[in-house]
Amino acid sequence: MIRTGKIITAGLMAAVLALAAGDVNAKDKVKVGFIGPLTGGVAVNGIGGRNSADLAVKLRNADSKAKYEYELVVLDDECKPNVAVQVATKMAADKDIIAAATHYCSATAIATVDTYHKFGFPVIVWGAVLPDITYRNKYAEVHRVNGTMINQNDANADLISNLGYKTVAVIHDTTDYGKGHNEYFSKALAKIGKAKIVGTFGVTAEQQDFTAELTQIKALNPDVIYFGGLTPIGVRIRSQMDKLGIKAVFDATSGIVSDAYIQGLGPLAEGTLAFREGASTEKLPGGKFFMEKYNAQKYDNPPEAYGAFAYAAMDMILNTIEKVGPDRKKVIDDLGHVIDRDSIVGKITFDDHGQNTVAMITKYVIQDGKFVEWDESEYASGKRKLPGQK
Amino acid sequence: MAEGAAKGENARAPLWPGLAALAAATVYLVALLAAENQALIISLLAAGIAAVLTAAWLRLLDRASHSFMDHEDALGGFAVLAALSVAVFFHEDHFVLLLVITVLLYTVATLGLNIQFGYAGVLNFAGASFFGIGAYTSAVLNAHTAIPHLVVLAIGGVLAALIGSLLLLPVLRTRGHYAAVVTIAFALLFKTFLEVNDVLGGPQGMQVPGMKIFGWTFNDNIEIGSISLSFYMNYYVVSLLLLVGAFVVVRRLERSWIGLNLDALRLDETAASCFGLDVVRWKITAFLIGNFIIGIAGALFGMVGSFVAPNNYTFADSLILVSILLLGGIGNPWGLIVATVIVVVVPEKLQTIQEYRFLLYALLVIAVLLFRPEGLLPRPIRRYFPGWRP
Amino acid sequence: MDVGLFAQYVMNGLMLGMMYALVAVGFTLFFGVLDVIKFSHGDVVTVGAFTALAAFAGLHALGFNSPWLDLVVMLAIAMMAMAALGMLIARYLVMPLRSAPALNTLLITLMLGTVLRESVRLFYPQGGNPKPFPALLPRNSIDLGSFNLRLDNLLMLAAGGLVIVGLQFLLNRTKLGLAIRAVAQDEETARTMGINFTAIVLITFAIGSGLAAFAGVMNGLYYNEINFGIGLYLGVIGFSAAIIGGLGSIYGAILGGFLFAGLQTIGTVLLPFASAYKDVFAFAVVIAIMAWRPTGLIQEKISERV
Repeated sequence: MIRTGKIITAGLMAAVLALAAGDVNAKDKVKVGFIGPLTGGVAVNGIGGRNSADLAVKLRNADSKAKYEYELVVLDDECKPNVAVQVATKMAADKDIIAAATHYCSATAIATVDTYHKFGFPVIVWGAVLPDITYRNKYAEVHRVNGTMINQNDANADLISNLGYKTVAVIHDTTDYGKGHNEYFSKALAKIGKAKIVGTFGVTAEQQDFTAELTQIKALNPDVIYFGGLTPIGVRIRSQMDKLGIKAVFDATSGIVSDAYIQGLGPLAEGTLAFREGASTEKLPGGKFFMEKYNAQKYDNPPEAYGAFAYAAMDMILNTIEKVGPDRKKVIDDLGHVIDRDSIVGKITFDDHGQNTVAMITKYVIQDGKFVEWDESEYASGKRKLPGQK
Repeated sequence: MAEGAAKGENARAPLWPGLAALAAATVYLVALLAAENQALIISLLAAGIAAVLTAAWLRLLDRASHSFMDHEDALGGFAVLAALSVAVFFHEDHFVLLLVITVLLYTVATLGLNIQFGYAGVLNFAGASFFGIGAYTSAVLNAHTAIPHLVVLAIGGVLAALIGSLLLLPVLRTRGHYAAVVTIAFALLFKTFLEVNDVLGGPQGMQVPGMKIFGWTFNDNIEIGSISLSFYMNYYVVSLLLLVGAFVVVRRLERSWIGLNLDALRLDETAASCFGLDVVRWKITAFLIGNFIIGIAGALFGMVGSFVAPNNYTFADSLILVSILLLGGIGNPWGLIVATVIVVVVPEKLQTIQEYRFLLYALLVIAVLLFRPEGLLPRPIRRYFPGWRP
Repeated sequence: MDVGLFAQYVMNGLMLGMMYALVAVGFTLFFGVLDVIKFSHGDVVTVGAFTALAAFAGLHALGFNSPWLDLVVMLAIAMMAMAALGMLIARYLVMPLRSAPALNTLLITLMLGTVLRESVRLFYPQGGNPKPFPALLPRNSIDLGSFNLRLDNLLMLAAGGLVIVGLQFLLNRTKLGLAIRAVAQDEETARTMGINFTAIVLITFAIGSGLAAFAGVMNGLYYNEINFGIGLYLGVIGFSAAIIGGLGSIYGAILGGFLFAGLQTIGTVLLPFASAYKDVFAFAVVIAIMAWRPTGLIQEKISERV
């Protein structure tokens, strides 16, 4: 009897100790945020980014040395500026969320910078390329890990001029994203001076019918059609170009670097040019590690072009919170001194405007239904020719 | 004897049923706004619906509505107190305050729509466009001129009325479906015009500087001793004042000879003109006053949200305003408040159904139209003699 | 501007006009027969297009790959499905509200349109994204100077024209058409003459919705893409076109459809910013026309009971 009693007491004490130990191990919960286009024409990029940020949080939570337990709050900006301002207000107004990785669409990112500044909410942009996002104001809250569109368009103008093309027609969407591309591409092309722009056409981001613009372009007969905009209208323009019998080269930007572009066009996608800053995911310093861990989680969608940057942004946020604690002001302070921090996309340094410098530009051409780097393609070696290529 | 009997017939309903209903509604609203847990919210909503149905069955709602009819001014004062107490309860919570401000300003806009549609029978499917005119006015004037912001509100209203007067000729000459198409065409035209127009920011929209009255900057948080209030409190007070003003104006209008003329006009245009009513003049009055009120609400809302973009003022948004009118009961200002709360607050709170909210919301309106076309709080019969009860 | 370019613009305008006309005819049919504006008509076009796409996916899964067979089956399935949908809408949503004020029917059909649109967006796999529509018509084209004449455009124009002519034939030369016209003219008298009112209304809705499905497939073939928003745009334009042509008149609807497309094309050619302002221009003209002729270009002969 006494023995049973002793056993029971011992068992109870062990249970209590175990609970207490478990309690000691329970970490404080910290909320971090992610905003991206989860619905709409560019949803695959947003979902890829979300999965990547989610991966960063999951890996961190699995790490027993982490000080906090992280919860990811995800909001959808639908790639629309007004929705973005609403969800940004919602996230920034919630005092429990410490920091966030935000925005793929430049139109949304530029609309929300003032909101984040108003609420003192630190963010790191992972996919939007418009320079104004970090350079228009000097907001301590806004940072960016991916590059801007300036270098992209320099490389673009360079390639077009070197291939010997003389006339370019520009189609761009009327959001700040498309207008930015138009501005930087025109400047770059004018500086090189070999080709000239014969016409510029602004289209709305949801436009269906481009026969009007394309008919006018057909009359101008350019060698190249430059497109500054996103995948949904890129697909429509390319397909309607074919319907009108226009045989120019379709030269686009990072906005169409997405599998959705190839799926939407099938064989028509062949020979499209595209550019993006940074290397393809596999060639990044941490690329293999990222892809391994990503595939292990068995997400429904691939990380797409900017998934690695979303991971890097979220990882940096988590590192900073680990270092200074879940306090927005301290996070902002710390992100003001980022020099040569390691990440899967290479060493990150934020300049005085919070912008990381990504020097490398990758040039793509679509060959056989895949994005192939220009230098490795059969177009560069001469086995295949773009329309009008000499 | 006769006097006694007359007194008995015209005895005023007691104040307390209305007061009790108001208090219950306020407590419920606060609970709903404070709840974060999805399961809790769903059970709150179910409980609310059950409570309302039970009250209707027990004839408690009738007593409350009689009480409102007889003591409207007093209960109006109590309603303002209730609104202030909601604000005090949430004084630090940015997002809840923003939500309530949205309710207040949407109610003002629908009050304007109510004059046009509920009293005069003039169809207006472009309510959100006039709201947008007000918002864009405050965006442009706040950013580029030094006009005092209260005056900007008034200018917003005047501009909405002026632009609405462009539509006067078609609106006056058409009936029924044809009248509908005029305002629908305008709603679409307005949004497209804003989108393609670079001067007004295009699809990217514009930032709106915050309100400043007599040197008091609205966009800074307020600190009173150790209590810190969200900066939205400033806007809350102004919106509440605006709502009270608009409500009083609309009520007085309804009971005045102007309202009588408008009602006659709506019920039977031919008979009204037979009796010498100037149909054209009254329609113009209703349309312009309505747009004026909508414009002021829009101007204030632009400053609250500090961002305007064409996508906020589409035909779908105009439909939401019309549906609030229908749901609440055409012509009944109290019903509008209830309907606005349902339409604005419930989808925000039920995050799990965020994606489905337009669908569920449209189904709800269809159900209301099929089974209770008068709306939740139908407009009572006009009281021709003070104190008279049907 | 050279002849080829002009011809290209004319062709663009004709294609758009054909699609708008098909939708406008539906609006006018419903109005004639039931005095109701069925705003969800545009979204029936969307559902029809998606049904055709689903049928295509199904056919491919079963292994049928001939474009002509695919096209015929897709059209058949889409048109029949939409006819059924139209009948359901008529029976349960529109007919019960006949005694209610016209605004209620207007609103209920507007909301129904939203339900259809959101259902496609939410329940069709990845419905929120634009979906490529297969190019089933032959892609040959001839270059006449700067005008690129495509066989598939010609085929679509011809098909659309045939459908409209067929509809006219149905309405004017058959007994069913006679019944429809009788009901449109005077409901009570038609009933006393022994016409089954409900059956005729249902059949009219079926025909109109079938037309919508046809327009949806045509839209998909022309742009090689469909998305859940095409119905809203087409619906409003079709409605405006039916209005400017005068409700209740088939010729008016066709006229209105081509007129609207013409306005958009003229706007594109004349205004400096290409197609940016075309919709603004077209809708402004619609409002102006309504101010000038309140019941449309082909005046509706109405007598009002006072």
